[in-house]
Amino acid sequence: MQLFWLSVGFGFVTASVLAIAAVGLSLQFGITNYVNFAYGDFMALGGFFTYVLNSQVLHINIWIALTIGSLGMGVLAVIINRLILGPFARRFSKSHYVLIVTFGLSLIMLNVEYSIWGAQVRFFNMPISAALHIGPLLLTRNQLIVMAVAVVLMVAVHTMLKTTRLGKSMRAMSDNTTLAMTSGIDTKRITTITWFLSGTLAGVAGTVLGISEGNLTPASGELFLFVIFAAVIVGGVGSIYGAMAGAILIGLATEISAAFINPSYKLDIAFVILIVTLLIRPSGLFARPGTA
Amino acid sequence: MSQVGVLDSVAQTLRIPALRCEGITKAFQGVHAVNGASFDIPNGQITALIGPNGAGKTTVVNILSGAMTCDGGREFIGETEVTNWPSYKVARLGLMRTFQLSRELGGLTVLENLLVAPAHQAGESFVNVLLRPGLIRRQEREHAERALQVLETYGLYELRDSRARELSGGQKKLLEIARAVMASPKILVLDEPMAGVNPALIERIGGYIIDLKQSGVTVLMVEHNLNVVERICDYVIVLAEGRTLATGRLSELRENAEVVKAYLGEVIDASAVR
Amino acid sequence: MVYYVFTLVFFLFDYFILAMGLNIQYGETGILNFAYIGFVAIGAYFTGVFSLPSSLNTGQHYILGLGLPFPINLLLGGLAAMFFALFVALITLRRLRTDYLAIVLISLSLVLYDFCNNYVSLFNGADGLYNVPEPFAKALGLTVNSFIPFFACVTAVVSLLMWFVMSRVTRAPMGRTFRAIRDDHVVAAALGKNVFWMQLKSMLIGSFYAGIGGGLLIQFGGSFNPTAWLPGETFVVFAVLIVGGAGNNIGMFVGALLVETLLVHLPAFLPEIPGHPGLIEYFDLALVGIVLMAMLWFRPQGVVPERLRRAASFGVDRPLAEKPGSMGETSIPA
Repeated sequence: MQLFWLSVGFGFVTASVLAIAAVGLSLQFGITNYVNFAYGDFMALGGFFTYVLNSQVLHINIWIALTIGSLGMGVLAVIINRLILGPFARRFSKSHYVLIVTFGLSLIMLNVEYSIWGAQVRFFNMPISAALHIGPLLLTRNQLIVMAVAVVLMVAVHTMLKTTRLGKSMRAMSDNTTLAMTSGIDTKRITTITWFLSGTLAGVAGTVLGISEGNLTPASGELFLFVIFAAVIVGGVGSIYGAMAGAILIGLATEISAAFINPSYKLDIAFVILIVTLLIRPSGLFARPGTA
Repeated sequence: MSQVGVLDSVAQTLRIPALRCEGITKAFQGVHAVNGASFDIPNGQITALIGPNGAGKTTVVNILSGAMTCDGGREFIGETEVTNWPSYKVARLGLMRTFQLSRELGGLTVLENLLVAPAHQAGESFVNVLLRPGLIRRQEREHAERALQVLETYGLYELRDSRARELSGGQKKLLEIARAVMASPKILVLDEPMAGVNPALIERIGGYIIDLKQSGVTVLMVEHNLNVVERICDYVIVLAEGRTLATGRLSELRENAEVVKAYLGEVIDASAVR
Repeated sequence: MVYYVFTLVFFLFDYFILAMGLNIQYGETGILNFAYIGFVAIGAYFTGVFSLPSSLNTGQHYILGLGLPFPINLLLGGLAAMFFALFVALITLRRLRTDYLAIVLISLSLVLYDFCNNYVSLFNGADGLYNVPEPFAKALGLTVNSFIPFFACVTAVVSLLMWFVMSRVTRAPMGRTFRAIRDDHVVAAALGKNVFWMQLKSMLIGSFYAGIGGGLLIQFGGSFNPTAWLPGETFVVFAVLIVGGAGNNIGMFVGALLVETLLVHLPAFLPEIPGHPGLIEYFDLALVGIVLMAMLWFRPQGVVPERLRRAASFGVDRPLAEKPGSMGETSIPA
């Protein structure tokens, strides 16, 4: 039973990482209507930005480094959209060319990261924290901070979407881009801001992934990508809240399953859940109509 | 003779409608696009499906041709029930449709567009590709000969080797019809064949439709151009708010108060259209 | 020097096969198979375990181990990839539109990679299979050195055979229906084509080619492990396809030449930069990505664009003009 509660604890941590990543992916997908297959590499690069600030060049506190590094990734995401993804998306109406481009972007980013930092495993410079008992759960201080970061970000995203003008414009755009354009919404500006948010969230997710796994390599994000996809699809494509729900479900499921099966395969459980969802309820838990 | 061929001659004799639907309903997110459409399409005649915008005409066409499923109701081609059959099965029974916005197979040539249409091509089987190249070559030649005839009829022969995406709007419309005709349909469903087409082309397409009727094809056309409907259609079905409002000849329907009301604001006096 | 050239020759013809396989799936039918390298790996692994002796004798861990000779093991490897494709297609093809299919497939590729890496008793985990018997080596008394030119020629022959079959498929109505599905699957269905069935056929044929290509890889190198097939490797095959010219068999060869041989393998023979192991390889792969993007932007049809199939190629004469009572002469009654 102790093992079960331990797993639940880990599950919440994984769910936190997943939620940040899944929301970032969902926001961008809702606006641009194509999947960014380089998202995993956005995550890893954000993690490396943090690493540079935290361990390699400077020695800034991990949480401050995380903030700066992630914002840096947000800026880079905007640049990448301006220079590469946006022009391709505008030029080819058939979405699959853009998908190939994001796939190619993934390859380029991965190898550039390898060129700069090599393949060896990297570690963040952070204090080892003792485990605390929260009810039946056993979590370290760092894990709790990760969860807190996730909660804060989720609340922030929710607030933004529901109350701000920006949020309403984003929701309008993701429902019907043409209508949004003719309604006077500055779609170009919204797209830029969305990419900034998506990149920043990716950066945060990549960093906390590195924190929760204890290490970071250029391929970390890519290998985690399918788990994020699972969370987004199970939760319901196009729905931000679906992404959050999916993240919790997948996060808990993978960690709890690790108590029963060989832990090396725990992430693969996410894929099984994805396939089962596609077979039984392809639109996911909270799907928006008109998708999939 | 195929089973459907026998049914057809029987239907002809007994005046069983070529296409029939009963109580079709379809809702999109709670909005009923089609709410109890029922009608018979008489065999060997040209029938028009008319109605104000939003009446559900294209949805009904999509459901009849199998492109969409319906939430309720039944559909019959001849004696066979085809409710919620997928579009390829409906097509194999001899129902071909065109689309409101022409959908050409862009990367293929005009000739190839037509060559896709015939059913049961031996060359679509991998085993035949490996073992019976001669058979395939022969079939291809036959199909190509017929396709070139059809292209000539529709005035597209010169464009036979052009990629379909390079055609003009009017040419694409003709290609859309020619391609459906190539499949030797028994029932041809045309979704607004005259939409956005210049008057000279309207005359031509109208002529093709009459020729098709004379060669035994049953035609159902969704159309807004009531002038055309009056001139070539034998029978009219009026749809409004997703339901069958009335059926009959256009001259009778013009006297029908309900039909006039449904078209309120729209001109149904054909002579005024000119 | 000879071995260097023949190694390049091997990869040229092997990737020619791989590109043809992806072409029938993506170039002809429009299926975005982002898991392609997974099928290549299945082919490689199964070819290996069909020809390796029982695992008890080799100190590696793997299933099967039947010690079958070439080319039986190769054909079985191709079939294994094909069966895997059948399984995947049945679950995914019916239900998903393009981008969701791409998501599921790339996830499959990652999971498969993860699985083979961790589940040691399957294909020896992260170490992979090695000491795979070289085909005909004993029979022809080949040394390590003469094997390379020999097998490069074997691969060339196999690829030409497979090219012959593939060109028959693409020239046939089958290929045309694939392209119709690629251009507009709704129209194809409206014309009576069973789209799912045709897509399935396309996946099966393409995966067989993937399996054969993979099988040849393990036979040439004598070994195969997960580093050989990171999911990003699918992208290299896409690059071969798109640079050469999707939908075109000659394009496949040109693409294989340009991308695989020149870009990927030539630099592998350059000397390492001291202090930065693997740097050239990283630059190289990044360059492949850049080249592909440039190609998609400036010349999306590829170096060798898709052939236009003219009416004359069907062997028909010009039809007779204006037979009596022909259509088109009637007009609407006024």
